[in-house]
Amino acid sequence: MSNKVKSLSEVVSQIPDEGAVIAFGGFAIARNPIAFVMEMIRQQKRKLRVYQIVAGMDTDLLVGAGLVERLEYSGGSLDRFGRLERINEAIDKGKLDVREYTGMSMSLRFLAGSMGIPFIPTKTLLGTDMLRVLVEKNDDAVRVENSPFDGERYVYLKAIKPDFAVIHAQYADEKGNVIIEGPYWDVETAKSAKKLFVTVEKIVSSEFIKRFPEKVVIPSMYTSAVIEVPFGAFPTSVYKFYDYDQKFLMQYAEINKNKDEFEKFINEFVFGTKDFVEFLEKIGGIRRLNEILADPVYGY
Amino acid sequence: MTINFTTNELMAVTAARLIKDNENVVVGLGLPQIAALLAKNTHAPNLNIIYEIGVINPEAEEMGVGIADPRLWYKSEYFTSFVGTLGNVLQKGLVDVGFLGGLQTDRFGNINSTLVRSEKGIRHINGSGGAADIASLARRLLIIMKHDKRKLVENVDYITSVGYLRGGNSRKESGLPMCENITIITNLCVFGFDENKSIKLLSIHPGVSVEEIIENTGIKIEIPEGVKTTEEPTEAEINLLRTTIDPLKLYIK
Repeated sequence: MSNKVKSLSEVVSQIPDEGAVIAFGGFAIARNPIAFVMEMIRQQKRKLRVYQIVAGMDTDLLVGAGLVERLEYSGGSLDRFGRLERINEAIDKGKLDVREYTGMSMSLRFLAGSMGIPFIPTKTLLGTDMLRVLVEKNDDAVRVENSPFDGERYVYLKAIKPDFAVIHAQYADEKGNVIIEGPYWDVETAKSAKKLFVTVEKIVSSEFIKRFPEKVVIPSMYTSAVIEVPFGAFPTSVYKFYDYDQKFLMQYAEINKNKDEFEKFINEFVFGTKDFVEFLEKIGGIRRLNEILADPVYGY
Repeated sequence: MTINFTTNELMAVTAARLIKDNENVVVGLGLPQIAALLAKNTHAPNLNIIYEIGVINPEAEEMGVGIADPRLWYKSEYFTSFVGTLGNVLQKGLVDVGFLGGLQTDRFGNINSTLVRSEKGIRHINGSGGAADIASLARRLLIIMKHDKRKLVENVDYITSVGYLRGGNSRKESGLPMCENITIITNLCVFGFDENKSIKLLSIHPGVSVEEIIENTGIKIEIPEGVKTTEEPTEAEINLLRTTIDPLKLYIK
């Protein structure tokens, strides 16, 4: 049986040092692949082209670290904790080539990518300034045409087929069958890529997968690598495993407003730690993580 | 009998009364969620409440900080993806009411949730998320917002979500399906739209003066003769809000 289990540094080193086209599965403050993103910062993967439905702390970190050249997304936030100020500032200063969509149009572009089709029609985006700006930039990912079937106007969205997709999930087996508990907004994103890297809280046996096949939302043929990283989404939440770390997110929402503070943060917590385990020890280790463990009934 | 109520309670009750039984609504955190739950606990027990992240009909015990907060997903009926909620349910035309908020709303009910323009230049704030999708494809729109001169403006700085676009038939001409109606509920009054799809005052909240509304609205509005007063909440609605729906008074204070 093929074993796709790898180490985090090994998998991140598979990504070219410049110009990777990569999609992320995080959503605001839920299931962000933080460990993966931090390792990408340590290994300095530059000039990234990033795709995401709703961005979270994951992409804010990458943009703040100066590694992203272009971002296609539908906005994002740290929910009530704050904004993605590293992304916002990069857009305002013209340092990031941003292409803005709606949540549904991004998810449909990933869906088309996951189906292997070149484009998908939709009514959304019509009339919006997102569409106006995309057309002004001559973006080849959108075309407005009348449908040959009903004669109505639609936006034809180009499929996203990134080189890599990275998501953080609860479970996978060694073959790469992935179980996501709770809503699974990142499934189409995951399936759209040429190579899917999944960090998981726990690697489970195929016996476990075969007991709960209805919980598998990504079958193994999509998956290139499985990496076990407990607490790999910290400080964002993983449903049924742990809650978001309120204190850490509040702190991050403060420091990401200021470039120098952000750089201090990156130097201390990312460059100042050799891996994610050391990062977790630095922020307080088991004592702190115990405070956010999920209640099995509530899932948070 | 007159009862005491807060402005947020009045806003939640006004929104709840615009929802009918057996409808499907897409909501976000805060007052929209409170309004939908109030409707479900009163006249609309068969209401389906959808969160775009991929969650349907949860029974949250705590309010949470956003739709990505698992507190909001507790005891759901269905988990899915963005494609499952917006791509399927919304795009198929199954959403009756979409709740929206934002930085600015204009004369035609367009919403900006992306950026602000000032003397210092453009500041990017957030983006659409699913808001523009909901505005484009839900049958009726309910906009809940704070009444402020800088928020209710003639033209929004950026059209994130389309209301009636430039009024008249322009929304349909852009290729979007026409929506049945748009209602804006603020802390001072309720707005609807006239036959030209331009904003019009529907009712003024109890205790609010016409001058106050004119002063706080960045859109030139006409005050119709004998404009109505927004209907007050009942004691039963207020009790439900305070004891069952938002006992910690996070949103109804």
